[in-house]
Amino acid sequence: MSTSAAPIDASIEARVRREVERAIQRNVKGVQYLRSSDPVMGATPKDVIYRRGTLQLYHYRPVASEIYRVPIVMVMSLVSKAYIFDLGPGQSLVEFLINCGFDVYMIDWGTPRPEDRRLRLESYVLDFIPDCIARVQVDSGEPDVSMVAYCMGGTLGVMYAALHTDGPLKNLACFTTPVNFEGMGLHRQWSDRRYFDVDRLVDTLGNVPPEMLYSSFEMLRPVQRIAGQIKLWDNMWDDEFVRSYRMFDRWGADQVPFPGECFRQTTKELMWENRLYKNELELNGRRVDLHNITVPFLHVMAEHDHIAPFAATKELSTLVGSADKQDLVLKGGHVSLVAGPNAVRRMWPALDAWLSVRSV
Amino acid sequence: MWREWIVQSERQWNKFFNDVMGTDQYNQAMSRFMDIYLNGQKTLGEMMGRYLTGLNVATRSDVLAIGERLAAIDDRLTAIERHLGSPSGTDEASSSPASTAARPPRTRRPPAPAKG
Repeated sequence: MSTSAAPIDASIEARVRREVERAIQRNVKGVQYLRSSDPVMGATPKDVIYRRGTLQLYHYRPVASEIYRVPIVMVMSLVSKAYIFDLGPGQSLVEFLINCGFDVYMIDWGTPRPEDRRLRLESYVLDFIPDCIARVQVDSGEPDVSMVAYCMGGTLGVMYAALHTDGPLKNLACFTTPVNFEGMGLHRQWSDRRYFDVDRLVDTLGNVPPEMLYSSFEMLRPVQRIAGQIKLWDNMWDDEFVRSYRMFDRWGADQVPFPGECFRQTTKELMWENRLYKNELELNGRRVDLHNITVPFLHVMAEHDHIAPFAATKELSTLVGSADKQDLVLKGGHVSLVAGPNAVRRMWPALDAWLSVRSV
Repeated sequence: MWREWIVQSERQWNKFFNDVMGTDQYNQAMSRFMDIYLNGQKTLGEMMGRYLTGLNVATRSDVLAIGERLAAIDDRLTAIERHLGSPSGTDEASSSPASTAARPPRTRRPPAPAKG
């Protein structure tokens, strides 16, 4: 009896000791948390090789002694800042890719200004993306380019690929890219044409304010913020958790305005009419037929994505005409798919494996 | 134990709110709220415009118009540049030493697949 009781006592003592130590650390580090400034993000060394309006095209400085032949162009969504690809050391997809030997460029759309309210899908798909890709070709000296695109950036990416079949695109990798907008869940319900007057919204405000977009994302998981703060307090002793929390929290709150005309077009043609999925979308009179895409195609989706739900993303590769195409469904959510410990373990190595053999 | 409770509660409350926010009644309420908000924005914009015009100062619309004209000029310059076949960038950063420095050779090969 006494022999088995001793280890139990020791175990209880160790747990009590650990909890007391953590409680002290929470208080000490909690004060530090309130006093410290935001972590630095998007700091991987880079050069701006092109600027146009708010758009900036970055080239990240290679670190490997030799790099793959085909450069990568990363395309971000229109509703969030691009530094989700480059959060911080050890949590940066860009850093991971350059360490793997890729030559990485990124299109950062910047923060649209009020005069950008007239930008449309055509502006991005038929002008900005081809313009940036031409700059990448010149800068890298390579005729071929791979594209890696996230969320709505992926939607722009597949539109570009479908309309530039004789272009320089060699590979296309999309993350959580919605194509069937009937699967967009609450966002589709909130934009129900019976109640949502998109014309009046855009005509009155010009660009859609970032606060409105932020609220719409927050409302998808209304209790997440409170629960997140409880988890933050519980893990305040853990420096790595706190650092990661602050980076994601800051990025999540750092929304950008959505160019008004593009929002009107997205709402009417994609959300209401689902034209991309139905093969009816036209940009400047040219039909965006996803079957025209023939380059190697990878689509990575998240099982528990609440922003671009699986129902909205799962059919993309069936619509793409490529013979070499692959779907990858990983555990995690919309953001944890591309950044954070989950991404480091799962998605990044999968992307490296897929791209490396196709980048020579 | 309590951590599991937090996770479960979060899930249940999120589902509850999502169910509420997915109803027609909620959409109607949001539509009315948006109506009031947009009316307020429009009225405020018009009042401010009249006030600034009275002071002989540029209004928001005037500044936007200038911004749009500048953007149009920017676009035309880009188109001319593209037409001339020199998309080397107008930005001074494109010729910075860091970007023009010798780059590693593009000879990298993927690692050989593991056997077994």
